[in-house]
Amino acid sequence: MIASLSARTPVLVLGLTGRMGRAHAAHMRRYGTNIVGGTAIRADAPAEQDGIPVFADVAAAVAATGAQAAIAMVPPAGTRAAAEAAFAAGIRLLVTIAEGVPVHDSIAIGRAARAAGATWVGPSTPGLALPGRMKIGFLPDVALCPGDVALMSKSGTLSYEVGYRMAQRGLGQSLWVGVGGDPVKGVRFAELLPVFQADPATRAIVLVGEVGGVEEEEFAAALAATPDAKPVFAIIAGREAKEGVSMGHAGALTWGEFGTHAAKQARLTTAGARCCATVEALVEALAAG
Amino acid sequence: MLLVEADGKALLARHGIRVLPATLVRQEEGFRPEGPGPWVVKAQVPVGGRGKAGGIAFCRDAAAVTEALQRLLGGTLRGHPVTACLVEQAVAGAEEHYLSLLVDPASYGVRIAWTRAGGIEVEEAGELATRLAPPEEGAIQAAAEELLAEAPPRDRAALRDAVAGLARALLRDGLLLAEVNPLFLGPDGAVAGDAKVVLDLNLAETRTDLRDLVLARPEAYPDAVRKLEEGFDYVELDPEGELGLVTTGAGLSMVVVDEMQAAGLKPLNFCDLRTGQLRGDPARLVRVLGWIAERRRVRVVLVNIFAGITDLGEFGRLLSDALDRTGLRLPVVARLVGNGAAAGRAELERRHPEIAVVDSLPEALARIAALRAP
Repeated sequence: MIASLSARTPVLVLGLTGRMGRAHAAHMRRYGTNIVGGTAIRADAPAEQDGIPVFADVAAAVAATGAQAAIAMVPPAGTRAAAEAAFAAGIRLLVTIAEGVPVHDSIAIGRAARAAGATWVGPSTPGLALPGRMKIGFLPDVALCPGDVALMSKSGTLSYEVGYRMAQRGLGQSLWVGVGGDPVKGVRFAELLPVFQADPATRAIVLVGEVGGVEEEEFAAALAATPDAKPVFAIIAGREAKEGVSMGHAGALTWGEFGTHAAKQARLTTAGARCCATVEALVEALAAG
Repeated sequence: MLLVEADGKALLARHGIRVLPATLVRQEEGFRPEGPGPWVVKAQVPVGGRGKAGGIAFCRDAAAVTEALQRLLGGTLRGHPVTACLVEQAVAGAEEHYLSLLVDPASYGVRIAWTRAGGIEVEEAGELATRLAPPEEGAIQAAAEELLAEAPPRDRAALRDAVAGLARALLRDGLLLAEVNPLFLGPDGAVAGDAKVVLDLNLAETRTDLRDLVLARPEAYPDAVRKLEEGFDYVELDPEGELGLVTTGAGLSMVVVDEMQAAGLKPLNFCDLRTGQLRGDPARLVRVLGWIAERRRVRVVLVNIFAGITDLGEFGRLLSDALDRTGLRLPVVARLVGNGAAAGRAELERRHPEIAVVDSLPEALARIAALRAP
């Protein structure tokens, strides 16, 4: 579903009447996203908010609007129920932004997405964007710049820094996906490789990874198995991370040799990716190559 | 988060995994091990590969136990201070197996790994025979049967029980990892010689028993306890660090630490402030500045905020309030980017003109290097 996104894709905001939902629905609309409706946080919500129709639940919203994508702006404890309802209602692409979703809830959401044949992005993500055209989530406009580099990231803020410095250097993005900082999630780095490979607007790929988990290693394996792969530039945060402790993101956890910076960098480099030690080096390498 | 062995074993024991009798020792003085020995003395720190790092001592007699405790307690192991050791009877004549259940993110299931050749080397062996199962106790048992077909028939019943215990622990306590290595297999069945358990802190809100387990041991989990009590992440990396960080966002904060280290600067801490949760209150900033000021070696404070949503105008006001309230005497370098950066900068320049406000990270690094030069 990510490959077919456009400014016309009809998008729902689940939790539209909440503080976050309302603010970000307005930001997304201003940026160009086709917000067609939302769901209420409470039963006594108005039928419309800021000109956006409000529905009692996601099934009614999908039936009335034909929405294909949705963003869940609900707290972590409510994310699993919201996601399962969205997939049951026929949503094809769901972004869940909440940080702090229990890992075994994420396992259930992932299984529900897979059973429905739908795409899930999140949790703990600022979302995704077609820079200059639309965004689902809250990637900051100052970091978004249309261009020919596909960007994927576990971290929100680090990707903002990379996008912002790319823009300052005259570089931009074709597609930007925040996969999120949790250990169990929806779309993973390796699944995005074929999407970026097939996208004619993408010249190069930036991977913004971090310690913990095995996603970078999975991506390296997929890259090594891809003929004529586009150039990949990577930065892995957490070279100096403390073992046994989650570094801000629940997924940024190493123990023994598991999830370490050295392991990820070695696998990515062997697979042909260019690993950069600093944001500056990454942006310069992109500009040169 | 990774639990120390003693807590991991206590958690697994609640689900039926047998563990050895052991004593948790916080100070060597006056401690005499029970039983005939020999004993094993193990530093209680949340890291892997403790054996290779010198954190596990095999002791033939009580004098050796005393010596090991003296050596380990009060020291550090892979960045963690050793505040307690577990003293356990050594097991003789048993086979050392390896058994683990790990959440498998790619399949949304559980990966079961088992080998008869457990012990210290398995951690480096890398590729183990594994099976995947959906996250249900029955399915995990069924998948484990395929692996256990390779086990000696006399051990199978004990291994099945161990799989069942780990499955209950993983699924009912919402763990990411439940690993036992070595799992001693002898005539009396299976006994855990170690436990590596990764807890999901996201469950702490609803599972007070798991939350209490962490809060009960602040000396072993200072960073996790701080996160539970304060609601954000602050990890002390080096108590002798010279650079205090007031940063937000996990990935960017990690990279700031990495780039500082690479530039020869010594960061004190990692910090993911979550500025979106400040809600007009400087309390969180006051806390962080207080922790930084407590460390004597700190020479400079770096504030680096990339605001996607946060209003930096308000952040500038909150930071100024926090600096007023704490009376911080250290030089501050601040970089604000994003939503309302100009207003934030103006606020800082008006109320704290002594702060060096810069535009980029490389510029911040250069300023810091200049400020800490003698």
